[in-house]
Amino acid sequence: MGSGIWSTDVYDAAKSYRRASGKSAFAYSDGGARTVHPSLDPRGVDVRESRDSAEHPESVAIAVLFDVTGSMRHVPRVLQEKLPQLLGLLLRKGYATDPQIMFGAIGDATCDRVPLQVGQFESDNRMDEHLGNMVLEGGGGGQMMESYDLAMYFMARHTAIDCYEKRRRRGYLFIIGDEMAYPQVKRREVQAVLGERITENVPLAGIVDEVRRKWNTYFLLPAGSWHAKDPRVLGFWRDLLGQNAIELDDLDAACETIALTVGLGEGTVDLDEALDDLRDIGSDAAATVSKALVRIGANRARRTRSALPARTGTTDRVTRL
Amino acid sequence: MNHVIVVDLGYGDAGKGTVVDWLCASRPVHAVVRFNGGAQAAHTVVLPDGRHHTFAQFGSGTFRPGVRTHLSRHMVVDPLALAGEADHLAALGVTDALPRLTVDRDALLATPWHRAANRARELARGGDRHGSCGMGVGETTAYALAYPDDAPRVGDCLSPARLRSRLAALRDRLAAELGPLDAPSVDDCVTAFTAFAERVSIMDGDHTGRLLRAGTVVFEGAQGVLLDEWHGFHPYTTWSTTTFANAEVLLAEAGLSGTATRLGVLRTVTPRHGPGPLVTEDPALAPAEPHNHTNAWQGRFRFGHFDAVAHRYALEVAGGVDGLALTHLDVARALRPRICSAYDWTDRLVPGPAGDLVRQEELTRRLLTSRPVYAEPPPTDWPTAVAEHLGVPVLVTSDGPTASDKTLRHAPAPAASRPAPASRPAPASRPAPASRPAPASR
Repeated sequence: MGSGIWSTDVYDAAKSYRRASGKSAFAYSDGGARTVHPSLDPRGVDVRESRDSAEHPESVAIAVLFDVTGSMRHVPRVLQEKLPQLLGLLLRKGYATDPQIMFGAIGDATCDRVPLQVGQFESDNRMDEHLGNMVLEGGGGGQMMESYDLAMYFMARHTAIDCYEKRRRRGYLFIIGDEMAYPQVKRREVQAVLGERITENVPLAGIVDEVRRKWNTYFLLPAGSWHAKDPRVLGFWRDLLGQNAIELDDLDAACETIALTVGLGEGTVDLDEALDDLRDIGSDAAATVSKALVRIGANRARRTRSALPARTGTTDRVTRL
Repeated sequence: MNHVIVVDLGYGDAGKGTVVDWLCASRPVHAVVRFNGGAQAAHTVVLPDGRHHTFAQFGSGTFRPGVRTHLSRHMVVDPLALAGEADHLAALGVTDALPRLTVDRDALLATPWHRAANRARELARGGDRHGSCGMGVGETTAYALAYPDDAPRVGDCLSPARLRSRLAALRDRLAAELGPLDAPSVDDCVTAFTAFAERVSIMDGDHTGRLLRAGTVVFEGAQGVLLDEWHGFHPYTTWSTTTFANAEVLLAEAGLSGTATRLGVLRTVTPRHGPGPLVTEDPALAPAEPHNHTNAWQGRFRFGHFDAVAHRYALEVAGGVDGLALTHLDVARALRPRICSAYDWTDRLVPGPAGDLVRQEELTRRLLTSRPVYAEPPPTDWPTAVAEHLGVPVLVTSDGPTASDKTLRHAPAPAASRPAPASRPAPASRPAPASRPAPASR
């Protein structure tokens, strides 16, 4: 066995701990919490609002909800590390004028203690706190379905966003997960989780239509999750969202993918420029992002520059949805 | 959940680190729980890009994003060594090792005074060194047995006043026994230990249970069963229970007794660091060991042929395994080691009752003069040969240093197929320290 190969001087240690970053970003969850943090509890919430203000006159609502069940493996933690950069990325390059970002977490209402967690729309680093207060459920059903339907129900009926209400520009909703949704939003789950009475179940297709009226809705399927390569998951989301179902082969690029998708949607950038931007800021995510967004980018290009170099050949690891 | 307990069935150094890293890389493990030993552990993990780290207190899954480490109350926690380890990990690009760490508040604290006392005692042994690592882990255990209500624990770092008084008492008692010790001031130590408490999440005893319910956990053992405090070859042992017992206690407390897969780790060439019996030792077996070096406290790294007799004994005292991970198949191809199937006087070492150290010492004397009897011909198919000699399946093989060199051979056997734990020691309470000859504190 080994020996003391470390410098173990007491002064070094004190300095090192002072230098070290804080406790776990998921301190609430790591502290053993198994119930939703009050700041993220959807129960009784009328609406989560993204509103214009003097400081942010042209708000753009962006919601990122990710699956926190066990099948997602390490994905929630990596996302949690990356997502705080999202705001900076959007602002630095002017992809969105006044982005307001909300984070949420999706579990499984059939078996989880915390099936839905939703933060507030924030335009500063208070969103980090919401991430820190999330409970990572880590469980999940095993039936390859999670309560994405319930999350979409919340987004459709319990959000109020000025970009849509005042300017008829839809917000951006990103759901990051690796399983399918349940076929309908169940009345009793709406009652149990949101504390709201509705008279009947809402079919999934209905709620997808509803949410897409107000939100440009994307599903990101990251590599490294349990069901990432299961064709049933791909097919399911392709049927619902078409090309807005995006497979991501490098989780580290999640943030960039979201930022660029918003930029492309807002028409503030085209794909080639965006990829150049990524290289400019020293991101090595350009290859992944370009693969993930090639279709969206080609369709949304501001100018008809030549499309990307052919990256979609048979050796391409990204399955276009 | 498919929890796994990883234990070394030799003298340590069989490859627990690389096996734990592989487990964390190949399945959705969310936490590694350490359940024995302390900062003297040295579990080397090598990544395909050449980065490597020798894990001492952090779990060997730390290179894998999101995998947490929990140091259970069975660990001896050394906050000073921990800071150095976190710094080294940060230098390798793993900047969030500390945020991913949780520590049980009841774990004992290893301090500079324990370390200094350990070194002073080992030096006083002269040529009869026990092979201590000089990190004070055994010393910490001994002090806690002598002063159970006054031994500094992790939770004390949250109360600077209590920590200060406990550290001062510790310093004074050890200095009274051994003379002035080369250690920093109590105040400096309080500063460092409270900084540790501010940066690391300190948990109550239920945390292991919460982790076990939240996802797959790997229990990472330290040292090896042949070094076990009660069943090892006394006095060349460690002051720690190195079998599955502590992990099984933690599982039982969570209501999950017997549910974890018990994985024993062995190497094709049986290594030993420091003095003590190594019946099959052969100077001709000198594999390249890029990460294991001679050190001042333990001396050189020694190698012997695969000692099936000793490993069968380890299996018996540990209460059996569900399967084995066999490492260094690549080394076996190069060096052609043999399998020792018997000694010149027996083919079975009979386990004794836990804690009969007089008996263990007699066994040690016998082993120091035993001669190996080798199976002929030398094995070519190592996994099959090891499975036959030990009567348990080889589930994982390793052909090199990284996780990608590992091969899963069979689905893990159901727990029911485990050999009856005839001689499995109860996790008995320790005898009073006075009745115990000083062990080596590795």
